[in-house]
Amino acid sequence: MTATQSLLVVLFAPLLSAVLIAFFCRTRHGLASAISVAAAAAIFIFSILAVSVSGIDTVHASSAWLQFGDFEINKGFFFDGVSKTMLVMVASVGFLIHVFSLGYMAKDPARGRYYAGLSIFMFSMLGIVLADNLIMIFVFWELVGFSSYMLIGHYMSKDIAAAAAKKAFIVNRIGDLGFVVGIAYAYWHFGTTDLEVMGQIVGANSDMIHAGIAALLMCGFIGKSAQFPLHVWLPDAMAGPTPVSALIHAATMVAAGGYFLIRIFYLFPPEVLSVIAWLGVFGAVYAGFCAYARTDIKQILAYSTLSQLGYIGAAFGLGYPGIALFHLITHAFFKALLFLGAGSVIHGCHHEQDIFKMGGLLKKMPITGITFFIGILALCGVYGLSGFYSKDAILIAAGLGDPSIAILLTFGALLTAGYMGRLFWVAFLGQPNSEAASHAKESPLTMVVPLIVLAVLSVAGGWLGYWPEQLGGIIKSDKHILHAMEGYDAMHTKIIILGTAAWVIGLAISFFFYGAGAKEDRLAKKAAPIYGFLRSRLWFDEIYGFYVEKVQQRFALFLSFIDVFVIKGILVRGSAGIVGLVGICSRSLHDGNLHTYVYWFLAGVILLWAAASGLL
Amino acid sequence: MTVGLNAFILLAGLLFAIGMLGVILRKNTLVIYMSLELMLNAVIIALVAFSRYNGTMDGNLFVFFIITVAAAEVALGLAIIVALFRLRQTVMVDQLTSLSR
Repeated sequence: MTATQSLLVVLFAPLLSAVLIAFFCRTRHGLASAISVAAAAAIFIFSILAVSVSGIDTVHASSAWLQFGDFEINKGFFFDGVSKTMLVMVASVGFLIHVFSLGYMAKDPARGRYYAGLSIFMFSMLGIVLADNLIMIFVFWELVGFSSYMLIGHYMSKDIAAAAAKKAFIVNRIGDLGFVVGIAYAYWHFGTTDLEVMGQIVGANSDMIHAGIAALLMCGFIGKSAQFPLHVWLPDAMAGPTPVSALIHAATMVAAGGYFLIRIFYLFPPEVLSVIAWLGVFGAVYAGFCAYARTDIKQILAYSTLSQLGYIGAAFGLGYPGIALFHLITHAFFKALLFLGAGSVIHGCHHEQDIFKMGGLLKKMPITGITFFIGILALCGVYGLSGFYSKDAILIAAGLGDPSIAILLTFGALLTAGYMGRLFWVAFLGQPNSEAASHAKESPLTMVVPLIVLAVLSVAGGWLGYWPEQLGGIIKSDKHILHAMEGYDAMHTKIIILGTAAWVIGLAISFFFYGAGAKEDRLAKKAAPIYGFLRSRLWFDEIYGFYVEKVQQRFALFLSFIDVFVIKGILVRGSAGIVGLVGICSRSLHDGNLHTYVYWFLAGVILLWAAASGLL
Repeated sequence: MTVGLNAFILLAGLLFAIGMLGVILRKNTLVIYMSLELMLNAVIIALVAFSRYNGTMDGNLFVFFIITVAAAEVALGLAIIVALFRLRQTVMVDQLTSLSR
């Protein structure tokens, strides 16, 4: 089997599964879950096959899809080192989360719809990973937006979930507007949207790099990867089922924005890169602060995701797409682990999500607790775990490039350790603080096994030396560039010390400040104004709400007024009214009396005669 | 004594005027119909007179056509009027105004 054939199976297995479930298995839940998990397994197996068959070669298969005159849209795979790495990550994490869903969603009354959503999501995500041109990426980009909308709104009878689904969809549209304009601009500028061809054009003549295109394409990334200022949708998206949060809103879809940038890194001039870097840095620190004022376990993880996405953006902005990809991959492992751990906790505690109502869970759910702690350590960047390698590389790159970014990101790491420590100490240690937590018990095997596998990946995922040679070439080369830079060794030592200090201090402070198994938030009690300020999240939702309600809505009303009164009232109804008036007048001539018609006829004859004889 | 062309034209004009006034003023469909025929006959007289005056057969030729068409028209028109009467029990045009509106 050639690589292209395997990739076709990878791409279409989940689509087939989604179609089968959507048409035939909406109520046959057992069958639906079996089909969906089988598709996920097929994706995993054939991904590995495709990677091993293609070796270290780049596979670029492309054919015409649509043609309008000179304008041609291609469909095809561009399967290089970056997409191989991403594909393996998406396939493995996706499969584990499918398995986890078997346990977590076991009692859900709408499982069929859920699994159809997961499958269509996998299809769309894999499409983004494999696509070879911007237009195809955009198509799948919108499809992941749709499936994300469907899965966030899975509990659609809950207003909060329905609203969150809408919010995610609409906020993403704002970014996508820039994206689609960027694609058109790129086509106009390069004459193609093919990733490889654009790379060759730019490689041959770096004057072809255009900041406008890069900035517009960046908008898509900002929306999808929930970067500041379009970050507001991600915390709300936690209204969906927890495996969905793990798969879409932590490991894969939000990372797709970063992946997309890495694919088109060559299009970015330094000024746009520095914008991305600073947006990322701001997001990393801002989200770190916000997490302190959340009590919902998933919301804390959501802000942690925002913060880590900021790191990915910063790494990319510093000019190291490989390191951004590295952090993207390791983050996918440990953040999927953390979200699934949270799912296991929520499952065990009968859908209690407030960490201050948990407590003592480590004893009740030992495997979940231990794997969760491993995830936290990986996220904090403890030496030897996956998060350490990628975060370290980012910090070193920042230290060598722009020290102020390095300082802020190290501070972000301190914040990370603090809020993750808060989460762990409060939820897992001490005594149970609620009825639900005291009755918690370990989750079934289908949920525990993915946790263990992901814990292993979170530990070992960063050991680049053990990665197969097909994967992560760009990561290794970027690390070599870093290594070769002047002052690397000194910076490396400095960052290890600072990074280690950050997580030790963060975990220790949170332990002593909040205390094991605390019943209430000490920060909220002791320093209510600070807590309130953090809880406000800088009022972004309020500002956007105000803008929508007071500015946009009024403008929309104005436009509606013009539409109703000018266009509809005067132009459409008005012209119809004139015709109607003429109709009423001419109808009154028809009185049905034969003699009237004779007179009209005579009048007509006289008129004709007058015209013919030149009187008129 | 020979009768001049003008006398025929005058006769034809009078007949035509009588027919026309009949069409305009009378209310009975049958009478209107007869008036129409009167107008046709006025035209026939005029055509025959012109034909004779010019010494050609063109006018006479037209007359045959008109007579033929008028005969067909009478058959058709009377049938319509009979049918109309059976349907509406009247042939007075001021009562046959269902085309209004």
